[in-house]
Amino acid sequence: MSKELGSTILKADRVHKSFGDLEVLRGISLDLAAHQVTCLIGSSGSGKSTFLRCCNLLERIDGGTIELLNHDLADEQIDENAVRRHVGMVFQSYNLFPHLSVLDNVTLGPRRVLKQSKSEAEAHATELLARIGLDAKANEFPDRLSGGQQQRVAIARSLAMNPRLLLLDEVTSALDPELVGEVLDLIGDLAAQGMTMLIATHEMGFARQVADTICYLEDGLIVEQGSPAQVLDNPSHASTQRFLNRSMD
Amino acid sequence: MTQSGPSLSATEEPINLYASSRPRLRGRSGTIASAISTTVVIALLVILIASPSAKPFREGFLNPHQMWLAFAGDPMKGILSVGKGFLLNIWLSLICEVLVLVFALAIATLRLTSGPVLLPFRGIAIAYTDFARGVPVILVMLWIGFGVPAMNIPVISTQSPVVYAGFVLTFSYSAYVAEVYRAGMLSVPRAQVQAARSIGLSSRTTLRRVVLPQAVRNVLPALLNDFASLQKDTAIVSVLGVTEATHAAQIAAGVEFNYSGYTIASLLFLAVTVPLTRYTDRIMAKDRNRRLAGGL
Ligand SMILES: Nc1ncnc2c1ncn2[C@@H]1O[C@H](COP(=O)(O)OP(=O)(O)O)[C@@H](O)[C@H]1O
Ligand SMILES: [Mg+2]
Repeated sequence: MSKELGSTILKADRVHKSFGDLEVLRGISLDLAAHQVTCLIGSSGSGKSTFLRCCNLLERIDGGTIELLNHDLADEQIDENAVRRHVGMVFQSYNLFPHLSVLDNVTLGPRRVLKQSKSEAEAHATELLARIGLDAKANEFPDRLSGGQQQRVAIARSLAMNPRLLLLDEVTSALDPELVGEVLDLIGDLAAQGMTMLIATHEMGFARQVADTICYLEDGLIVEQGSPAQVLDNPSHASTQRFLNRSMD
Repeated sequence: MTQSGPSLSATEEPINLYASSRPRLRGRSGTIASAISTTVVIALLVILIASPSAKPFREGFLNPHQMWLAFAGDPMKGILSVGKGFLLNIWLSLICEVLVLVFALAIATLRLTSGPVLLPFRGIAIAYTDFARGVPVILVMLWIGFGVPAMNIPVISTQSPVVYAGFVLTFSYSAYVAEVYRAGMLSVPRAQVQAARSIGLSSRTTLRRVVLPQAVRNVLPALLNDFASLQKDTAIVSVLGVTEATHAAQIAAGVEFNYSGYTIASLLFLAVTVPLTRYTDRIMAKDRNRRLAGGL
């Protein structure tokens, strides 16, 4: 798979992060160019979520640097709300706002953060919902939707902010197996349209299809990174091979 | 059904699915049964109240003439109108409720912040909540209502008793309502906050648009309960000599040596609090159904 990559969006350099005595990230270095899709794989507890959360400042790092569009996130002048305006995040448990309709979930950010008018935000949101095939559900509340539909709305909610980077944290792990496909298809479409994404996932087949780069994490370190063919088919590290064998069955 | 392999029912013993006691009456016979029992209970109550030996009770508590006299008032006899007085209970409680909603929200929010600068204020908020919830309202009412005017501070000491009363009710109830709000905000999952922050909402907007609406929905019954209490506790204002329903009824009782005025005052309070609690119950039931239906 080869596609035009753009300028650097994210540059992580020897990132360290501890929770108390537990060092969760132990020097993660990773570059992400515009339009690049990178999948983080690795067993649970290896630090995938923590790294994603550091990229939109839900967590603060203890060492190293993360640069987003050439801005050092550790800089005191950085406004975390401005960072999150440009970095979308989708969670395993969707986290839609249960008191708001699907439409209001999608327009909340554009209206309150981007200060778009109601009509402008709703026009854009309706367009987005149509793109994911859920325009008929615009006025429903989240609890009336299936898990797959909720997760697609959560993705639309992020997209409504026109993010430069989208972080996806195991977005299919909470779904019933038959609902996984519709969400992965949507992410595949986004990749094809050039969205820059950092994706933590357990879906190896999906990672192979969608990723330009795969990083295998173990105990807070990137043990191996490269194209899907390199990492998934010819891993050069024994631990990567062991992980892949384990995730086959 | 074909029987193959090991049988799942180990014994062939017959089982009994009937209730051991008499079956409950359902449908038509159920309606008739409840109608009969209701009639009997009401009849017993009427007989009890109408019986000759209950005459002092009827005279003292349920005298229609006295009830009307107290309700309407009689300037010639120096009896103030319980009905008019009750209007004060109503508007005082409405004003206090609005103030309580705002003030309690500020307290609750303050207690849930974590900034180091606000630490002393959090301490004050905690001390305030402990104090206001721990001291009887009537005590604070006497303390402020008589103590403050006696201090001869310009402006502050020269307010009407209604102002002190409103202040005390707001002061006391805000502490309860702040705790209700706080419980509500704590019941909103952290993931909701993270999702809101992740689309760039500030902490303020997150509180306003994401946390509070869910928090209030979760604690609406408790809020309404506190409002019913506040409505009732406006009666305490009478200790400051403010003419509200209870005070007017007290005067009528003193003049007429008859307590039917208290009855009419009670009925007025019930006319407000019963619909309010019924409404609360309905909301609670609806909320329970929503939860049971698998919603959030
Ligand atoms: N807020 C936290 N406080 C303490 N420990 C945490 C916290 N978040 C994550 N951890 C720990 O960090 C490690 C990595 O977690 P995580 O990044 O969620 O891994 P992954 O997403 O790869 O499963 C785990 O051991 C987890 O228990
Ligand atoms: Mg994780």
